[in-house]
Amino acid sequence: MSSLVGFLSLVFAIGINFYLFFSRYIFKFQKQKFNLFIRFSSLLTLLSFFSLMYAYVVSDFSNYNVFQNSHSNKPLIYKISGTWGNHEGSMLLWLSILSVFSFFFSFTKNIDESFKRLTLIIQSLLHILFGLFIVFTSNPFLVNSILVNEGLGLNPILQDPGLAVHPPILYGGYVGYSIVFSIAIAGLFQNSDDEWLYVAKKWSLISWTLLTGGIALGSYWAYYELGWGGWWFWDPVENISLMPWIAGLALVHSLMMVRGEQAIKKWIVFLSILCFSLSVFGTFLVRSGILTSVHSFAADASRGIFILLIFFIVTGFGFLVFLIKEPKKSNALNLLFINKVSALVINNILMIIATLTILLGTIYPIIIEVLYNKRISVGGPYFNATVIPIMIPGFLLMSIAPILSWQTNKMQNSKKYVLGFIILSILVLIQSYFLDFNTWGLVGLLLGFWIILASIIAIFSSYKVKFNIKFFQIINPHIAHIGVGIAIVGITCSSVFQNELDFNLNEGDKFDVNGKTVLFQEIETTNQINYQALRGKFLFDIEKNQSKKIEAGKNYYPVSKIITSEAGILHQWNKDIYFILGDQKNNEWFVKVLINPFVSFIWLGVIIMMYSGIIAVTRR
Amino acid sequence: MSLRFQRLLLILLTLVIILSAVLLILYNTRENVSYFYTPSEIDELEIVINKTIRIGGFVENDSFNKISSSSFKFNITDEKASILVTFSGILPDLFREGQGAVIEGAFVDNDIFKATNVFAKHDENYMPASIKKDLKDTGYWNKKYK
Repeated sequence: MSSLVGFLSLVFAIGINFYLFFSRYIFKFQKQKFNLFIRFSSLLTLLSFFSLMYAYVVSDFSNYNVFQNSHSNKPLIYKISGTWGNHEGSMLLWLSILSVFSFFFSFTKNIDESFKRLTLIIQSLLHILFGLFIVFTSNPFLVNSILVNEGLGLNPILQDPGLAVHPPILYGGYVGYSIVFSIAIAGLFQNSDDEWLYVAKKWSLISWTLLTGGIALGSYWAYYELGWGGWWFWDPVENISLMPWIAGLALVHSLMMVRGEQAIKKWIVFLSILCFSLSVFGTFLVRSGILTSVHSFAADASRGIFILLIFFIVTGFGFLVFLIKEPKKSNALNLLFINKVSALVINNILMIIATLTILLGTIYPIIIEVLYNKRISVGGPYFNATVIPIMIPGFLLMSIAPILSWQTNKMQNSKKYVLGFIILSILVLIQSYFLDFNTWGLVGLLLGFWIILASIIAIFSSYKVKFNIKFFQIINPHIAHIGVGIAIVGITCSSVFQNELDFNLNEGDKFDVNGKTVLFQEIETTNQINYQALRGKFLFDIEKNQSKKIEAGKNYYPVSKIITSEAGILHQWNKDIYFILGDQKNNEWFVKVLINPFVSFIWLGVIIMMYSGIIAVTRR
Repeated sequence: MSLRFQRLLLILLTLVIILSAVLLILYNTRENVSYFYTPSEIDELEIVINKTIRIGGFVENDSFNKISSSSFKFNITDEKASILVTFSGILPDLFREGQGAVIEGAFVDNDIFKATNVFAKHDENYMPASIKKDLKDTGYWNKKYK
């Protein structure tokens, strides 16, 4: 029943969008009516999504999709997240988020009504494309042809609270760029004034913030769930999410420097189209099965071709309009050698080139296979060695950005900065001399601390410190940069200064980690609702009274016959101690302990960046 | 500064950045790209000692041998040829005999492949597209895999 409701409302919503898209030239809509139609179609799409969710929650196995991906003894949260834990459901989620964005956009007040309508018509086109894709190649409402009482279960690796919310947030970021795309295209068509740039800024900030959150959740999940001790693996799917993120970052920064210059406006339109194209391209690569990872649910060639088609329509249409319709002539860009605008321009170029190198590394294996029928893989070292050197000049510019002015070549307070940089550099040098010296470590720490210091000096020397919303809005860019600096310090420390210890242990053994004695208490197996758990129990720092318990082990899921690792992590503010339980022979267990310094700084930095994303949305 | 000069400068700068990016890419793809082979392809190749490559296939049945709790020995096969692999560390959760796996590492001598990384597939129906194609070609394709 719910499947029927879901399917009908999905089709009906697509029908409304067809009507809206084609009727523009046939009927003259009243503006009120137009918005109502858009909102109605959004609500229908949401109804469709929630009826699928309902089918999952009540374990309605007459729905083929539910049967394939759910099981009645799963906890409720994974029944809900099972809705998007599969290809069909995740595409319906994609479409629903698109609708939600259209819905909220239809309430935007301060722009021209005809401009708004044009934007929404482009949204309608996107809705039609993705809607048809769902109906024809990935319908989540198919009826199960046989009568069954039990489902096949959700992939256990996806049964995790972090991963349950990761897809909706990430998709929020991806799909948010659809609005930015539509605004930019509408801006090209209408060419009225610059009002659309402010609207685009708001929406691109929202998308970027969501994308940041989605990526961070994904890598946090990888950190504690995959049990490899790392949080970023340059997996193709990670790369794919990173590309629109960097392009989106460039977009947000370009939108900051608009002063009516034609060149920058053109660049903004280009970036807007690029961001959404990269999002769709990412979906194509992941869903087509060309790339293999946790995310490729099922390889089905017809889906890949369909999404490829959508990708070409969107990108082709976007860039075609971009080439034909140039933004109206206005001020030329005036670069005064050393000022904020030129720093931003250079940073933008760097970000786009970084995006391109990631893109190249990701699709290079595909190209080689097509051309030479040879299979290769491009590993993490390629990306580290290529992307990081390209980003370093950008970080350098970030650290001097606060002394540059917007209009002139004068530098403000340069003495303070230079003095601060010198003192800081000496401190970092001394510190790295006493620790193991490492070039990358030194560079990373220097850059990270420079950025933090420069931003702090800028806040205290240029503005009067007050504690109201206005003040936090003004210093917001500096806060964002402090977040970046903190994240750079965390990334550098956790990857360069990671320490690995291996042990072969019997139950009851004591061993030494980082100068602290750890007791390997026992191995314990327990039965949980939908899995069996095997846990190695450790007591960290037994000499102290408050010693910490750490449990590392494995889960066995009988429904899908899958084992997953559960790392035991002891979080401290300056390091994570990461326990992985390995195999055993004759009751001797292999235990790997990783000491990851300053990992928490990465998450802290990301939270600060997201915070300033939110603050920036509130500022006009 | 005249506008034309600025534009020139900007273009030059962009070119310099692109050029250095291209150089970086070329240099790094030479160093950090590993080729992917099946066991029977390796049989035909000349073995280069200590060169990082990847091998994809199945873990041969009854070949898995636990030397200690952290070192293992097993064969990777595509039914035509098989290769002896040694690995020390923690094997992925999905590593099992009869299941697909991708091994990254290098030959330490003509017969022994020392793995640095072992990747196993994510569920029992899942198979990297590249291995799937080969298995189909060699007729080792099991219908129950998707």
